[in-house]
Amino acid sequence: MLLLLMVLTVTAASVMVSAQKTKTFTVFLSEPLPDYPGSTIVGDIIEKETGVKLQREYLVGDLETKVGLMIASGELPDMLTAAHFTSLFKDAGMLIPLNDLVEKHAPNIKRLYAKHWEQLKQEDGNVYWLPIQAIPYDTDDSHYPELGFFINKKVLKEAGWPKIKTLDEYFELIENYMKKHPRINGERTIGYVTLFDSWRSFATTNVPQHLLGYPNEGEFVPVLEAGKFVVRQYHTSNAAKAYYQKLNEMYNKGVVDKETFVLNYDQYIEKLSSGRVLGTFNQYWQVQEAQQILLRDDPESIFIPFPVVLDETIEEYQRDVPYIQATQGLAITTACKDPVGAIKFLDYLIREETQHLVQWGIKGQHYEVDENGHFYRTEEQLKLFRDPDWVRDVFGGPYFYNSFPNLRGIDKNGNSFMPDRQPHLIYADSHESEKEVMDAYGIKAFTEFYNKPRPRKYYPLWTITIPAGSPAHIEQTRMKDVLNAYVPRMVMSRTRDFEKVWAEYVKAISPLMKEQIKVYQEQIDWRMENW
Amino acid sequence: MKIPAMPRLFAKKTPTLAGKKSFWQTLMKQKVLLFMSLPFVIHVIIFKYIPIWGWVLAFQNYWPGKSIFDQIWVGFDNFKWLFRDPVFYQVLRNTLAMSIIQLAFGMVSSIILALIINEVRLVFFKKTAQTISYLPHFISWVVAANLIRDALSTDGGIVNEILLKLHIIKEPIMFLGIPQLFWWIIGASHVWKEVGWGAIIYLAAIASVDPNLYEAATIDGAGRLRRIWHVTLPSIQPIIVILLVMNMGYLLSSGFEQQYLLQNGRVIDYARVFTIYELDYGIKMMRYSFATAVGIFRSVVSLVLVFGANYVAKLLGQERLL
Repeated sequence: MLLLLMVLTVTAASVMVSAQKTKTFTVFLSEPLPDYPGSTIVGDIIEKETGVKLQREYLVGDLETKVGLMIASGELPDMLTAAHFTSLFKDAGMLIPLNDLVEKHAPNIKRLYAKHWEQLKQEDGNVYWLPIQAIPYDTDDSHYPELGFFINKKVLKEAGWPKIKTLDEYFELIENYMKKHPRINGERTIGYVTLFDSWRSFATTNVPQHLLGYPNEGEFVPVLEAGKFVVRQYHTSNAAKAYYQKLNEMYNKGVVDKETFVLNYDQYIEKLSSGRVLGTFNQYWQVQEAQQILLRDDPESIFIPFPVVLDETIEEYQRDVPYIQATQGLAITTACKDPVGAIKFLDYLIREETQHLVQWGIKGQHYEVDENGHFYRTEEQLKLFRDPDWVRDVFGGPYFYNSFPNLRGIDKNGNSFMPDRQPHLIYADSHESEKEVMDAYGIKAFTEFYNKPRPRKYYPLWTITIPAGSPAHIEQTRMKDVLNAYVPRMVMSRTRDFEKVWAEYVKAISPLMKEQIKVYQEQIDWRMENW
Repeated sequence: MKIPAMPRLFAKKTPTLAGKKSFWQTLMKQKVLLFMSLPFVIHVIIFKYIPIWGWVLAFQNYWPGKSIFDQIWVGFDNFKWLFRDPVFYQVLRNTLAMSIIQLAFGMVSSIILALIINEVRLVFFKKTAQTISYLPHFISWVVAANLIRDALSTDGGIVNEILLKLHIIKEPIMFLGIPQLFWWIIGASHVWKEVGWGAIIYLAAIASVDPNLYEAATIDGAGRLRRIWHVTLPSIQPIIVILLVMNMGYLLSSGFEQQYLLQNGRVIDYARVFTIYELDYGIKMMRYSFATAVGIFRSVVSLVLVFGANYVAKLLGQERLL
């Protein structure tokens, strides 16, 4: 009797739980967003359709510290993203394998990640996280190329729209313009700025590989030698020497900004957006903020990217081979009591219908469809989406991508998942000032200056994580120290001292690459075999 | 893991009426004081003594997620690595140099400011000057560093502009790009930011000087400077010595944000201090054990410095901390 009563109570309790219906999952997200406003257009629909409520914790402060704390304390949310620290949670045994869950409960994830699945398997054959981006079908094109030597539109216009190929041409244009216009808007013209602020200094030190025609691989480049990718260093290459020598020459001529090596990122953006900087090398996402300010305030001074190489003999393949960041993503932790519910929620998020909702919005309200089935937005709708505050706080889309698995590329109907990459709209949605440049060169997108990327199965090298605290890791830090100390010296030394400083630099950096190359080579070989 | 100087200082204020009375009698008599100090003692035990247990990390190859007993023990490997690292000696030099510059200039400027403010007769001006002087203390270093960067910029920075206008220099100087200058920029910006704040404690000390002494000095014909020299300074001397001894303990731990935010690749050899070193070569690489080893080294050296300074003060017949 007593037993029966107990069974009854337990059943009653469980019925009550399921009657509540809404499930709550805690999730830590490694991007700094303001807290979820509680109700957004997109969020409300998702909550209604899934019955899942998310309790989000966004990154405040330093991710490295946060991750260290979470691992050390063992206090975990149900799900988490932790950028390139994700694998540390796996090493600490805090993530659950997703293979079976996906197989049984998540047909959409299985279908949409199929192309990437092998890349996601760790050494034990399990998949522990879903990369934030999946490219299930074809790739699409961005508005701007990933990287380039950027040059002020004014310089191009005055020189009659030349196509820039080599480093010498690039600096010649800048130098000539500077001679004619020593001041812009009443202030001194700045010929060239290079960003060297703490971890962002790769904007300066990565350049030699691009001058050799490589895309952004990171600190080392895998070179195809006899059918095999061999990891090589470029820091002491001829391209590196020519590049630093050129910067040195330009520094002594006053073209390179005198204080370029002491600028922090804020100051760099401030300078670029003042419209008096003529050139800079960078990855587009690092200059995007300045470009947007210029488009608003000084559209004649926007920056136009070119794929610059060392000399004419080099063929450039600087654009990214479309890739997903296989080494990081959203993971379900051992603390999650309902992994099936969690994976079902993720499965709902990733399907095409939800992706269209999150990225495009509601049909007829946030976008329209033309007779060919192509999505587009009316001028009025575009206006809404140009207001980042509205998009975030009212529309709510950003709260469901960037940190949650989402789709990129072109869908089956030829639409891009991302509105700003909609193929036939890149030109149409451009600013008048951008259109003028594109018209002058006879192109429809700035990416057309660049060659199509060469397929590289392992791409890119930089997503390989060097084991924390290993000899290779220490060597890497020491190498960065050398770069930090010597690159400014090389550029700022007197021209006759350059050779001497260069020799010192080569001597200092050469012994600091062996261990890293070993790790990278192993991983590249593994990727070539398993991906 | 610093030396908890606070409770000692506190205990000092409670006069020890030793002698004929027994220990328990004294204890009973001071029970209110003891009760009042209890929370602070507990605070220190929890936040300063218990964490010392974590020092075992330094002798392990600690990896998070595992229990501290399942870690691999490595003996003194972390310390060996530390003392063999050429960067370590650079870091030691930088930390000591910048700390001493900050300590010396910081104290001297604060004392002088306190003396000057004290001599001002106009209350309104006195309060305003004091408020303005300690306002920078409340600016976070992130903001302050940007202000300093802008002021020292070669591209319209105010310092260069003034020097140019005065024809002292012909070309703008890139102050933040000259390695040898970095220590002094750190020192100067520290003085700018902390001088007013540091002066408060000296002003308090000056306020407690017996006015009779000044009157007596005036009757003896002492002018203002004489009074400062012979009355004010000797009266606040104990405070100066105690603060000096206390600050000795921080010589190896001072400075993180300031150096971190003002440094750049060009001056890294002169800018890296212990805290940045621990971050770059320890925590960022998940080498928690190594970071702990560096922390232990700093703590031990700090202990030696504090006791050393205290001993010297004793030899000189000065007020002591311990």
